[in-house]
Amino acid sequence: MTDQEQLEQRYRRLLKWYPAAYRRENDEELTAVLMACARAGQRRPGLVASADLIKSGLWMRFHPRVPRASSTVRRAVLLMYAGAIFTAVSLIVAVSSLNVFADTEGLRLLGHNQPLPISITVGVVVGLALITLWLWLARAVSQGRRGARVLCTVLVAPATLHLFGLKGMVSLVFAIGTWLIGLAAVWLLWRPDSRAFFHREDVALALRPTASQHQTP
Amino acid sequence: MTNRAMQEATFMILTALANGSQHGYGIIADVQEISRGRILLRAGTLYTALDRLRDNELIEVDREEIVEGRLRRYYRLTPAGSERLGVEAARLESHARVALTRLKLAGGMAS
Repeated sequence: MTDQEQLEQRYRRLLKWYPAAYRRENDEELTAVLMACARAGQRRPGLVASADLIKSGLWMRFHPRVPRASSTVRRAVLLMYAGAIFTAVSLIVAVSSLNVFADTEGLRLLGHNQPLPISITVGVVVGLALITLWLWLARAVSQGRRGARVLCTVLVAPATLHLFGLKGMVSLVFAIGTWLIGLAAVWLLWRPDSRAFFHREDVALALRPTASQHQTP
Repeated sequence: MTNRAMQEATFMILTALANGSQHGYGIIADVQEISRGRILLRAGTLYTALDRLRDNELIEVDREEIVEGRLRRYYRLTPAGSERLGVEAARLESHARVALTRLKLAGGMAS
């Protein structure tokens, strides 16, 4: 094992003072900086640097702000919860409006031309499915699942097409509101800060030295 | 954080990012240069500060690069970070001006 490898291994041991969630996001970056700061031929972390890492690691453990997504991801997740609430409200409004204004004009405003029971059933099922989708996507995105981010982006297309098929004024207002919330969430999910959050596991896996590298004499 | 005086290390980190995005080691080197060697940021201290600054949305990740097999994450000031740094710099300048004026009046400053 070279001097550099020994030093890196010792720094990685010191980084275990940090919470696991923080290490997953920052381990490789922090190790890179520690190694860049090292003197030529250095094999052990200095006393002051070790104390600094232990102190910072303990501070992180007692101030558990991690795991934390970037602010852009947090805002996107909040928007998705808002989308679920907005969809729920639009569903309640639609159903209650159908009950209250069960006449031709009321149905026309809501964009329903089909017989009443079918409209209600389809509307409620689709509405509940959309609420479930919003909540599932919010949870998956907050866990850093990249597939969920891609799915959010793909869903913008049918949501956009859906706008052109609407007839009733009330339905159109709610659909545009939901569409805007979704669009804003997708925009936030592709900001550079979000990218770092979604790719942190990949970077950690790609850069982490294998066990055999450490065990080489 | 808005109304409280900023810690010197935090001020220096934001100053290092005022010229454009920098990675962790770049910030350490720049802070050392700006402070003429007086402030040597340790990696642990730097990343604790960066974590807090990201939470307060004063900085954000600009991009990531892999150089010689090592991850480099570049940070940049957010508009809120630029504003906060400007306010803090003006506050320090104002205090320094008052201190220098009073020293001159008292004749206590060597010319």
